[in-house]
Amino acid sequence: MPAAASRSVLPGFRIGLGYTLFYLSLIVLLPLSALVFKSAQLSAEQFWAIATGERALASLRVTFGASLIAALINAFFGLLTAWVLVRYSFPGKRFVDALVDLPFALPTAVAGITLATLYAGNGWIGQYLEPLGFKVAYTPVGIVVALTFISLPFVVRTLQPVIEDIEPEIEEAAATLGATRWQTFQRVLLPAIVPALLTGFTLAFSRAIGEYGSVIFIAGNMPFISEITPLLIVAKLEQYDIVGATALAVVMLLISFVLLLAVNALQWRLANRHSATGGRE
Amino acid sequence: MSIEIRGIGKRFGNFVALDNIDLTIPTGELVALLGPSGCGKTTLLRIIAGMESADSGHVLFSGEEATHLHVRDRHVGFVFQHYALFRHMTVFENVAFGLRVKPRHERPGDADIRRRVTDLLKLVQLDWLAERYPSQLSGGQRQRIALARALAVEPKVLLLDEPFGALDTRVRKELRRWLRRLHDEVHISSVFVTHDQEEALEVADRVVVMNQGRIEQIGTPDEVYSTPASPFVYRFLGDVNVFHSRLHGAWAEIDRSPAGLAANGGDGDALAFIRPHDIDIERVEQHGSLAARVQDVHAIGPAVRVELAHGSELIEVELTRERANGLALIRGDQVWLRPRQVRVFAAESAGEEGGSGI
Repeated sequence: MPAAASRSVLPGFRIGLGYTLFYLSLIVLLPLSALVFKSAQLSAEQFWAIATGERALASLRVTFGASLIAALINAFFGLLTAWVLVRYSFPGKRFVDALVDLPFALPTAVAGITLATLYAGNGWIGQYLEPLGFKVAYTPVGIVVALTFISLPFVVRTLQPVIEDIEPEIEEAAATLGATRWQTFQRVLLPAIVPALLTGFTLAFSRAIGEYGSVIFIAGNMPFISEITPLLIVAKLEQYDIVGATALAVVMLLISFVLLLAVNALQWRLANRHSATGGRE
Repeated sequence: MSIEIRGIGKRFGNFVALDNIDLTIPTGELVALLGPSGCGKTTLLRIIAGMESADSGHVLFSGEEATHLHVRDRHVGFVFQHYALFRHMTVFENVAFGLRVKPRHERPGDADIRRRVTDLLKLVQLDWLAERYPSQLSGGQRQRIALARALAVEPKVLLLDEPFGALDTRVRKELRRWLRRLHDEVHISSVFVTHDQEEALEVADRVVVMNQGRIEQIGTPDEVYSTPASPFVYRFLGDVNVFHSRLHGAWAEIDRSPAGLAANGGDGDALAFIRPHDIDIERVEQHGSLAARVQDVHAIGPAVRVELAHGSELIEVELTRERANGLALIRGDQVWLRPRQVRVFAAESAGEEGGSGI
């Protein structure tokens, strides 16, 4: 890394780093700091009052809670999907593989409207669920469904290359050493996958936190019950309460940043265990 | 433990990988399965290990039926060409793996595991690497760890699939001598697969030469080298890259030689096989010697390789340095060749495997 001290073979360290920092500042840091500056118009008490308002707290709970559940669901089923797509060949595999990317491409509003229609009381799926006393559309459950839909590709796409990297010989070796299928999975395969699974989970989680378009159509948006923070921010903007909106945004930003930092730290520790002095092939 | 293979057959689609193989591996021997790629040697090894299932035939361990036994229950140690070490575990944990996954009532205690793993690491002379990760080791070190890991569960048979194939020449030589010494120490029945004839001849007690899903010859390294049973073995066990020599043509074409050519074909076309170091070059014609013209002379290490033209055919002769100095050959010299040892195979059997060999 210290290319200035010891000459690196790779050229362009200074200019490369310079551009990177400039670019990140322009695209990421500048808008975010503007956000923070704007919210700084508030006094600490005002800020605290907005951030801890009952409606705001409820919306934060819904946003982060639903995102967490969605990311957990995807961590499990995404792992399964990635495993099946890498390890088995079956007719239509390419089609299924392409299907995984669809939530990336579809406008989220379209996804939201489609899901809402499907799960509504008279929808294709909803008509069977509702008599069983299971309401999905216009409840927090609907939010989870929407968030699961939009964040699935992150887990699958992160895991696929990692699973491809595991040679079948590793499993054969474990079998000759007397390990059962479960022991092989638990002691040999899972530890190799976990760091990537954590990355996929984090990406899915952060994507879900920021989601707006698909959720507002299926959530019903009842304050205290199924209202997400991004919607609350938009509501404040529509009432020209720009400072209040930025205050909420800053709160979301802080929570997300702390969570991502924590996951990254965990991941860094996991990765470090594998090669104490970083001597990878 | 002895291994018996009876009538094993295996196809992949239309391709016959193994054609009715019979083979017995006695207890405590180190056996090499030698053959070109695609000859079925790795498939046979994987069938012995239970990673592949045969279409027909039986595998017996110590006389007991083991054909349908699961890999897990066969108690074989397997070493892979590309090591297959567990990347996220330290060297110590890799070796301990087989002990840690044993069912609770068989599993040794922690102290016992520690002692056994340390002993094994000492056996492969790598106990100072116990806390490293595989990615921090060299290829040769990784393969030795893989071997220690396979030995940890005290297997009855050790199977090695091209164990030195991924290593560079120097390490490969070092490691195969080391394997030989290790085998003399632990005396476990071992089978290793290789396509490198030098490796098979140097390391094994017994060499099984395979070609196109069949066994061509079984014998000690000396037997298969000096009395090859078929033209294929003759060609495959010569140093094919540099010193290989063939005298093509009908019997009569090597002149009315009294050189004691033990023809096994009777009448008709035949092919004679002579190793490059079994031919002498002389300046004077003698009865039974063949005329040739020197094309090229290369000194390679302790030997001198001479390329000659006999009619339209190219012949390679290997001489000692002293002999070559005495002859002082120059390109274009007319000389006479005297084969010392020749083997002749009927043309049909020799021509069968067509272009293999060189």
